Amino acid sequence: MPVSTKSVKKPAKKMADKAMPFYPTRWVTVLAMDPSLIVDGKLLRMKIEIPNEALDDGPRGYRAHIVDYDSTTDTFYRPLKIQKRWNREDQSPLDPFEKLTDRQLLASPAFHSCMVYAIVMKTLARFEYSMGRRVGWSFGGHQIQIAPHAFCDANAFYAKEAQGLFFGYFPALDGKNQIYTCLSHEVVAHETTHALLDGLRERYTDPSSPQQAGFHEGFADIVALLSTFSAESLVARLVDLGLPHTDRLEIKASGVTPKKLRNSALVGLAAQMGAEISGVRGQALRRSVQLEPRKDYLASPEYEEPHSCGEVLVAAVINAYLDIWISRMVALGKTKLNRQRAAEEGAEIAERVLTVCIRAIDYCPPTDLQFSDFARALLTVDMELNPVDDKYSMRTKLFHWFIEFGILENQPARRGREPGTWDPPESPEQFLYDRTHFDSMKSDKDELFRFLWENRQLLKLNEDAQTRVCSVRPCIRAGRDGFILRETVVEYVQQITLFARELDRRGIQTPEDMPGHTEVTLYGGNVLIFDEYGHVKYSVGNSIIDPARKSVQKKQADRLAYLWRAGAFTENRSAASPFSQIHLRRAMDWYRSVRSPEE
Amino acid sequence: MPRSKTKVKPTAASNTPTSITIRMYNVGFGDCFLLTFQYSKEKRHMLIDFGSTSAPKDQPKDYMKRVAADIEEQCGSKLQIVVATHRHRDHISGFATNGDATGNTIARLKPDYVIQPWTEDPAAKPDALTATVSSSTRSNPSAKKLKAQYLGSLKAMHGVAAEVGEWAKKNQGAVEAATLKQLGFLGEDNLENLSAVSNLMAMGRAGTPYYVNAGMTLNGLLPGVKITVLGPPNLQQSDKIRNERAKDPDEFWQFRNFWASQQQAVARTASRSPSVLFPRNVSRARGPNVRWFIRQSRRIQASQMLDLVRQLDDVMNNTSVILLMEIGSKKLLFPGDAQIENWAYALANPSWTGLLKDVNLYKVGHHGSLNATPKTLWSAFKHKGEQGTSDRLETLCSTKPGVHGSVDAGTEVPRSLLLNELQKESDFTSTQDYTAADGLFREFTIRV
Repeated sequence: MPVSTKSVKKPAKKMADKAMPFYPTRWVTVLAMDPSLIVDGKLLRMKIEIPNEALDDGPRGYRAHIVDYDSTTDTFYRPLKIQKRWNREDQSPLDPFEKLTDRQLLASPAFHSCMVYAIVMKTLARFEYSMGRRVGWSFGGHQIQIAPHAFCDANAFYAKEAQGLFFGYFPALDGKNQIYTCLSHEVVAHETTHALLDGLRERYTDPSSPQQAGFHEGFADIVALLSTFSAESLVARLVDLGLPHTDRLEIKASGVTPKKLRNSALVGLAAQMGAEISGVRGQALRRSVQLEPRKDYLASPEYEEPHSCGEVLVAAVINAYLDIWISRMVALGKTKLNRQRAAEEGAEIAERVLTVCIRAIDYCPPTDLQFSDFARALLTVDMELNPVDDKYSMRTKLFHWFIEFGILENQPARRGREPGTWDPPESPEQFLYDRTHFDSMKSDKDELFRFLWENRQLLKLNEDAQTRVCSVRPCIRAGRDGFILRETVVEYVQQITLFARELDRRGIQTPEDMPGHTEVTLYGGNVLIFDEYGHVKYSVGNSIIDPARKSVQKKQADRLAYLWRAGAFTENRSAASPFSQIHLRRAMDWYRSVRSPEE
Repeated sequence: MPRSKTKVKPTAASNTPTSITIRMYNVGFGDCFLLTFQYSKEKRHMLIDFGSTSAPKDQPKDYMKRVAADIEEQCGSKLQIVVATHRHRDHISGFATNGDATGNTIARLKPDYVIQPWTEDPAAKPDALTATVSSSTRSNPSAKKLKAQYLGSLKAMHGVAAEVGEWAKKNQGAVEAATLKQLGFLGEDNLENLSAVSNLMAMGRAGTPYYVNAGMTLNGLLPGVKITVLGPPNLQQSDKIRNERAKDPDEFWQFRNFWASQQQAVARTASRSPSVLFPRNVSRARGPNVRWFIRQSRRIQASQMLDLVRQLDDVMNNTSVILLMEIGSKKLLFPGDAQIENWAYALANPSWTGLLKDVNLYKVGHHGSLNATPKTLWSAFKHKGEQGTSDRLETLCSTKPGVHGSVDAGTEVPRSLLLNELQKESDFTSTQDYTAADGLFREFTIRV
């Protein structure tokens, strides 16, 4: 794995022993969680490995620029002056903050900037590693601008129109301290994930369904949580919180039960985390472990609310993670368990689960995402890369938890397939490949469009709709055993705008009371996965209208009904960034949740 | 103090009114209704709200004074009941004793009863400090503490509003004018209105104050008039309709905490010379590569603030008292500015929705905004119908267009979609249609 996270205990210097023409990575000190997490009287830190580059003052690098502007006070803070020893190319550059005391770290705006920069780059590197290719931002530019002290407000968000990430700060309730959202590892990873996911699937921010709305938040929470768990120092803390006698090197294996870890370790950790920062980010960690498994969450009206809906997905993934980790610990020692080993395993498993979650995005349909699509994509993409689910039984456990939370149904697999995975195309031999060149198709959207057009019947393209190829992305992924998988991921979207009065004729039920002259846009589209020989391996997505399948029209009708109920057609939109709004709503949850679903 | 008693001793004259006259004053953007109950030998009066944030067109500047004088003239020397549905300036500014001092006029009328939402009860002290309790108490706070936290939030919201108003004044020209206008309006409307609040409290002390919540009945305040309070729900009542996850006291705490931090944050923003975070690191130079981003940051900050005040405006509206009055076979519904979150409790109660069916007069909620007239409520009214329907529903709307929300965003108040429906299905009157000939008010009479 080219990019990994290690605990503080692993000295970075060792990595830098040997001079080389270009040293690919650097190690940077960041906080493991946020300034409220203190262990043995000290801030819990970690070192993360990020791509090395010759940084400009700021820091400003090839993908991220720190602009330390505070709009509340209209103040521009001097950018961090990059010293030569921090910009070494022949060896791992020095970490400027390694030796600073806790107090110095917190008081240094330069550290704030560097921590944000490092976590943004780390999250980007995780995405690129998982995807096996470069991953771009959604706004077309290559460098995202980041304001670590953007304004005095208990909020932090990604704003596409400003091509940036904004982290607020606010006075703590004790009146003495400032709370900096940029110093929360989770918050930074969460916002960066919004920006990256938006680049991968631009239509996921469209109003569509509670699950699509909940996905952005839920997925960002999953990435944020697993990113922090992939630090051994933090996972060791989890083990300690959950178990007695942590001063001993070995602990009783019988003390490690899923329930104990869930209830004391994770909830304990959540309680330690800054209560004030939880006003910004909600309490994904605590929620995800306290939500009892139930299959009917997603069908119940109160889970129409995007945050609650997203929490169901987080709960399924985090429970699977705990389950995998605990079974691994049980396998390691029947009676006694090495504490350090338990932490290492926990961190490694977090890394693996995170990788497969990110990878799954490539196998998700480009529009109208449901959690079941994500779950199936995840199981399929991992099966492609690691055909045998032996080491951790990761897929079996994920599948189990997806069922427990009602995301997937427990249906037997087709012959030769694993349960919960996507089915390959029904008649692969009928695809016409001889009119296009696969080499061009890997980079040329027009060539790819010709392929779609030639195969429009087989792909069930709606010929009345406008079809657009959004992306063509060749990628190379590495399996656990060094196995290399080459694929090309293609995303296309179809859309058609109709008057409400035209819906019935097409078999789509018009939402109650919707005036006939209302213009509605229907979306559909697929993701196509080509294997290395240029053959279609999977075609996954949503038809726009399909007279042969009533379920397609039903899904469109449900979407319109939900949007109509939610007032999406009144164009009641605030000028604020959608993520700023959604975070504000989250803080307002207590109040908002009395809203009756009917209205 | 009979704060929560539900029974009131009937007054001596135990007859029934023969008619009720409703005087809807044109106070621009605001509410002011004087109800006169006509008995065989006397008249009794109830004033529901008296406030304005934007003057009516074609009216003299001292319109509030004139309205007060008219109320005094109508009442003679005695006003029986004052209702202040909620704290917003457009509902209570007239009770203030500073400025125009119209509040003194009302106080002179010595109201017997002052009805306000439970959130105004001076005996329940908002305690901002309870927000910083330890995590163990946090997960198990008493009902009393929750209440204090909630009230503390409301107080913090006033603080946020005041600061936002200041900020809007300071930033003329720096942000889009439309955003500033909205910020100014919402900020001002959510100010604490101390003078009006203390006058209401003093009037209550002189007479009898009622701090009401859903489910209370105030029968007997006026002979022959049954008054049922349908909102606002108190915290326990809200709990019942809230889904399981939101019952978590931690969430509640977070809500309190959120507003407390927002208040401090916005105070910093609006302060004349906000202290910078790192004085030693300030840079004067701003390279050309960051100018665009700086502009974006400022724009985003303004729209965020607008979002914040919109939220607090909603919370405040939802403390509105909803009164249903029954006089013989006639029913009058005055919901203040209650929005769906407040209505949800009443609408979840089948016996109340039954009561609401044959309402004869409806004061349109929140100056005609769309989410203050819930669909369930509107569809429950059975007296609505085409023109010519016998005993047709009467709807009264006190509003002024172009003050609140915007047409482009579909948030305008009054909302045209709702107005069309009201016009089509009821005898609808809006203060925005008053002409110079109408003067200060129009009168509507309901015969019992």
